[in-house]
This record gives sequence, structure tokens and C-alpha cells, in this order.
Amino acid sequence: MPPFSRVLVANRGEIAVRVMKAIKEMGMKAIAIYSEADKYAVHVKYADEAYYVGPSPALESYLNIPHIIDAAEKAHADAVHPGYGFLSENADFVEAVEKAGMTYIGPSAEVMRKIKDKLDGKRIAQLSGVPIAPGSDGPVGSIDEALKIAERIGYPIMVKAASGGGGVGITKVDSPDQLIDVWERNKRLASQAFGKSDLYIEKAAVNPRHIEFQLIGDKYGSYVVAWERECTIQRRNQKLIEEAPSPAITMEERSRMFEPIMKYGQLINYFTLGTFETVFSDATREFYFLELNKRLQVEHPITELIFRIDLVKLQIRLAAGEHLPFTQEELNKRARGAAIEFRINSEDPINNFSGSSGFITYYKEPSGPGVRVDSGVVEGSWVPPFYDSLVSKLIVYGENRAYTIQTAIRALNDYKIGGVKTTIPLYKLIMRDPDFQEGKFSTAYISQKMDSMVQKLRAEEEMMASIAVLLQSRGLLRKKVTSQEQTRNGSGWKSYGIAMQSSPRVMW
Amino acid sequence: MKLYRVQSESGDTFIVAQDQKQNKDKLKTENNEFEIEYVGQGRREGELLLRINGEEHSVVVENGWIILDNARIFRAERIAELPTQEGQSLDEMIKGKEGEVMSPLQGRVVQVRVKEGDAVNKGQPLLSIEAMKSETIISAPISGLVEKVLVKGGQGVKKGDILIIIK
Repeated sequence: MPPFSRVLVANRGEIAVRVMKAIKEMGMKAIAIYSEADKYAVHVKYADEAYYVGPSPALESYLNIPHIIDAAEKAHADAVHPGYGFLSENADFVEAVEKAGMTYIGPSAEVMRKIKDKLDGKRIAQLSGVPIAPGSDGPVGSIDEALKIAERIGYPIMVKAASGGGGVGITKVDSPDQLIDVWERNKRLASQAFGKSDLYIEKAAVNPRHIEFQLIGDKYGSYVVAWERECTIQRRNQKLIEEAPSPAITMEERSRMFEPIMKYGQLINYFTLGTFETVFSDATREFYFLELNKRLQVEHPITELIFRIDLVKLQIRLAAGEHLPFTQEELNKRARGAAIEFRINSEDPINNFSGSSGFITYYKEPSGPGVRVDSGVVEGSWVPPFYDSLVSKLIVYGENRAYTIQTAIRALNDYKIGGVKTTIPLYKLIMRDPDFQEGKFSTAYISQKMDSMVQKLRAEEEMMASIAVLLQSRGLLRKKVTSQEQTRNGSGWKSYGIAMQSSPRVMW
Repeated sequence: MKLYRVQSESGDTFIVAQDQKQNKDKLKTENNEFEIEYVGQGRREGELLLRINGEEHSVVVENGWIILDNARIFRAERIAELPTQEGQSLDEMIKGKEGEVMSPLQGRVVQVRVKEGDAVNKGQPLLSIEAMKSETIISAPISGLVEKVLVKGGQGVKKGDILIIIK
């Protein structure tokens, strides 16, 4: 018996499709919402029903709470799944869903408000016994105050949006002049993206790893931690490549974190899926708390593959009030192999990861053993400039990390997307890099190696352009019709009349 | 010796100089040089073989898409031969076309940081464009003088639009 009959997915793109697959597999109806720019998107077609929620800008559509609640009521949905991003960590949205009599698939508004921003999260972390990075104790009210605090804790510092998520609103600052530059811009971006402009300051760790733990809880106080994910390969705090388990962490170090993370969950009565994000120092072997993400994570598939569980289905069942189906010991025994996820962004790594929008004119997905693709596009899809640049995720799995990397190289070669620039060529270079293969990297990996990688990527592109010139000058670039393509029959209307007149029946 | 502008289907522009001798071409771009030999038809239907800097590669052309070693794809939206002046050196030819700054994405111009007549250095920020939750800074591809500014703050631009011309 499915826990709900109709579930509305308040999101777009690949995560909407992925969540709908779980909903359909559980025997429930999946309902989509869409904006003007997404009228023909994959998630709209894939859903059992779809409702228009507003014009293209996110604030008028996917962040438009009244329109989304209205759509959910029209659809007679009894549950709402937020995906990630957009309204997935918005307590006002959760409250609106609850007031409309529907179940929110995630923590309750009350739980969310206990850690309504990153700063609340830090206070709870201290109570549960996790180290936190030094910094301001609350929102910083002015640039003058910011300069004083930065002077006290020492540069480099991180300037963060208290309501931020998805790596947005985070800037590393190395000097007072830069802090003055960054302050107003970050305030504007935070207000634009999250509706609140509070900023705070934290000491920046030097060359750390970014490790996150998957916390899973039910409504009755039971918790497990589905180990960790390594999210260290980042560019400007936006994750690019994630893997599970981390190549740098021992079982003892991982286990040491289970109890404080569960205690954190208990302190706020957390339930469904949460992600405990930390910075890990290779030198001190210590984890420093960053924040708790109160939602399904973009990189949940790598945890799914090493444990062979479906986190979305689990999330739905936990939100419906079911008990946690396994213990920590059972979960530890289930872990197998290694998984790596690549975020396929429509961005140009050569041009400082600038966004690339347009139509997908060529699309071939990899498949085969150990390959999974969560995609929000097909050939002909439009990648609009209004939303996040993530178009799909490639997830590879192998019995150990080395085999996973081999699978990754093959799958990245098989993944062909034309019409927009993507990060695929960059990932091919990273997979062949000895430092990555040996698991030696930090969050500075991309910035350190980007210059040489951009040179290689540019050389590859220029080689392709040169090949195009050579082929054109030899007349080899004309379209070829392969033997498998048949000439389509034209309309018969021109010949129909003559055929009819020559018919023996008509003559007779 | 011929000069071409290759506009790729995803919005990039390349200037390629070609020196063709029978089966061997020398092709030069802004940063790289390639020696490509056309070996001939491959062993499968539609396959072509090229020797690029001494290494053999397989190319398939499919509906205008160039697929290299079944691993990379590229499509040229347009390949235009450019007029050249007698006696002009290769580097001068290439540089003359690279002063046109094109928009790499669709978005909205936030701020134009230069005006006509300004001197700019290579890599200097010229303007910023906002799209997809982030601000993208467009830098000068070459050093020189700003000859023409074709956009202003708040204006929407499409991928491939010419924004600024530098001489």
C-alpha cells in the first residue's frame, strides 16, 4: 500500500524526473509544475499531470509559494516533494504545505525553524560535541564590524550568506580591501537568491576536504548515518565531482562521527534525510561542522549505489511516518564498492565556467555495467538561462575506486552533448590526473590545476576546429545519409488524383 | 595559405590558418599548431582516418557532427573564409579577427566597465553578464584600444552577440 496517492514535485530538471521515478515505482501519481521556460521540458512530459506556475524567472514560478500550493490543491495532491534548491529548505513553504493539509516530504516547519540558518546550525553542533570553525557569533551588521572580526580571527576568512545553500553566497576573502569589495555584492546576491541578506564570517581552513555525512531519521527518534560523501572537487564552492566512500577516511574516523551526528538529529527532533556538512583537515584529522542541509542532496545517488538503497523512496516512507527499516550495524554491512558522481553542468570550463544556454542538438547517454544517468534533458531540450546550470548527473560504480575511475573514463567518453558547453571534457582530464587517482586533493584542487587544464581543453577545441577546416576544404563535411536512414515518403496528395482517375473502377 | 573563421555550434569562435599541400595540412590557431594528414577512408562505412601530429585518429561525420575517436563531438555552424592582406604575417592575421568580443551566453549585461577609446590589457575585465545565479565577467581577449562598445548596462544579450570591438 503506497503511503500517498498523489505527490507533487515542486522542482524542475533532473531531480524532478528522478523523484518522479521513485513516486511511480511506489504506485503513486507524480505531478509536475513548470514555468514558461520549461513548457516542453522532460520533467513536464514525464509526469502524470503538470501544472503551470508562472513566468520564467524563478521568483515568479518555482519560488512562488502561493502558485505552487494552488497547483497542489488543484491536483488534489496529498504530499509535496521539494527536491533540492528552490524551496527545499524554506520553512515558510513547509508551513504552507502543512496548512493546506498535505504532507511535506522532509522535516517539519518546526524542525526547520530550529536551525533556520547556518548560524543556528553551528550552535546546535557545539551542543552535540562537534568542533566548529571560529568566526562571528551571529549575523554581522555592517562592513565595519566585519573588518574588526576579520582582523581578530585572521585572514583568510569566508564570508557566507546565513540563509545560503548550494554553495551560493560563499566567498573566500584574503584582505581587507577584498572584504570591502565583496561585502555589498554578496549582500545583493544573498537577497536575490535567498530573500535574506544576512552575512556572517568564519575562519577559512587552508586546503581542506569537504566531507558530508548522510543522516537518516524517522519520526520516533531512530537515526542512522549512511556514511560519508567526499565533495572536495569544487569550483567556487560549487561541487563538481562527488564520491562515496571518501578515499581519505578510515572506518574508525567515520564511526567516530556517527554518535555526535545522531545526537545533533535528536537535539532538533530531525526526521527524513539530512546532510551533515563538514570541513576535514588532513593534517589534524578533525571534522569541523559547516551546516546541516535539510533536504535530499544533489549527490544522493552515490550513497544509493554503495548501500543499494533508494533514498527518495526511503524519504517518502519516513515522511509518511514509517519506522527506520535498518540499524547502523545492518547499514555498515551493506556498504560495497565505490561510486563517483559527475555533475554535468551547462558551463564552459575554458571560459571560467560561464553558463551556456541553448538547445541540446546532440545527445547520447552512456550505459553499461556500473553506469547510471539522471538526466533532465533529451535531444531537442532547451537549457534556459534562468535556473541552475545542472542538466544531468553521471554516476559510476565499481567494486573499488580504481575500477570506478576506469568506468568513469569510458562513460565520460560515451557521454556526448552538443549545443551547449558542458563540464564533461574537464572531468575526462581530472579522471586521468594522478593526484585524483591517488585521492590526494583538497578544495583548492580546481583552482590549482585549472590553468594547465584550460590549456589542454583549449588545445582540444582548437584541434576540433582545425579538423573541421580540413574536412570542409576537402568537401567531406557534407551531410551523409547512412544506409540505415531511409528516404521518407513524401505526401501523396499530388499523385492521388491521377492515381484515382486511372483506377479501373473509375474508368468503369 | 587561407584564413578561416570557424563558429562552433555551441558559440565559440576560432581563427584557423590553413596551409594545404596535397594530403598534408598545417593548421595554426591562436595558441596551437597542428599537422594533420588526411590518410583516407577508414575500414567502416563513413569512417575517415587522419594523422594528427603523428597520431592516427578516426573521424566520423554524422549530420554535420564531427565525431573524433567516438569520444569527442564538434559541429561547425559556419566556416567562413576570411580575406587576407598580402604580406601580412600569420599572427597579424589572427589577431585582427580576435578583437571582437562575443557574448558566451544568454543573459543580461550588469555593468560595462570600459568606454570607447579606453586602452585595455589582455585579461582585463570589460563587462559582466548575469545569468544562472551567477555573474560572469568577460575579459579582453587581446590588448589594444576599445574601438566600439555595442551594449549598455541592463541590456539583454544572446549567445554570440558582438559586445565590444577592440583594435
